[in-house]
Amino acid sequence: MNEETLDPLIHVPTRLKIVATLAALPEGDTLSFTRLQDMIGLTPGNLIIHLRKLEDADYINSEKTRNGTVSITTVALTSQGRAALGAYTRALRDLLGGDLLGAL
Amino acid sequence: MKPTPDAIASGSEGAMTPQQAAALLDQVTHEARRKLEPSPPWLLATRAVAVLLLLGAVWMSVRGQHPYQGPTAADIPFLIAFIVINFAATVSFRRHAVAGVRGSSRLRRSEIVVLVLAWAVVIVIVAALAVAGTNVGRYPTSVLIAPGLAWAAINAARRSWRRLATGLGVAVVGVAGLLAGPVGAWPVAGVGLCAVLLCAAGAVAWNHRA
Repeated sequence: MNEETLDPLIHVPTRLKIVATLAALPEGDTLSFTRLQDMIGLTPGNLIIHLRKLEDADYINSEKTRNGTVSITTVALTSQGRAALGAYTRALRDLLGGDLLGAL
Repeated sequence: MKPTPDAIASGSEGAMTPQQAAALLDQVTHEARRKLEPSPPWLLATRAVAVLLLLGAVWMSVRGQHPYQGPTAADIPFLIAFIVINFAATVSFRRHAVAGVRGSSRLRRSEIVVLVLAWAVVIVIVAALAVAGTNVGRYPTSVLIAPGLAWAAINAARRSWRRLATGLGVAVVGVAGLLAGPVGAWPVAGVGLCAVLLCAAGAVAWNHRA
């Protein structure tokens, strides 16, 4: 087992933050773009780049809704994304012998 | 591991070792759970201590009464203040935690209606007791039963077993208080609610680490 087994799409600090944050929600729940941005502390442009990568891989889905003149973008982890994070966590645990993953 | 090309393009990503990735995953998961939790453990624990002190103080003031007359005029403002502050803190923390969240984390309209109806039942019972000339202070824990059962029913439907247990715990304290008599109801309520809230705080904290 080596680092190559870690999903390269998730093994990037910002995308790991995005996926782990969305995974903290119950399955099926969505988070607004602005709350996600606030929780992770990214600029909108940077967040959009990473969300697009994750969406292309079907790890997340995003939806834009209009509420009057305001448009709200919501983001959710797909079941595929949740499974990918699970596999990533297992791979990390195997690599590290389970010592450094207190919460996972 | 080398950073992916898009990571370099975004200008903020460096390579992560598995150790760094594990630490980041641990930290972000813990933080996200904490920020999205509508009932943080410290709030539940603070509430537990406050309810124990408040109801303990009421018990101290009523235990020497012969015949029993209920909480004194000095106790009532503290009881009302506790209920108001508790309600405001609950609403405020929940609103903050679920800001931007859609889905099961939020209470549905029908669930809010059930909770409002449960409190309406409490008000009707208190009013009925007053009309019948009975001091509600003789059955102080009766007000816990309907809201506790309503919260349990809502969370049974959601399959949220921790919150279901909290609701049932509150209802059980309500029934136990009725059996303990007017004076005994106060320590039963204080110790019982404190225990229920501390168990809930422990369960939330455990869930955040699990």
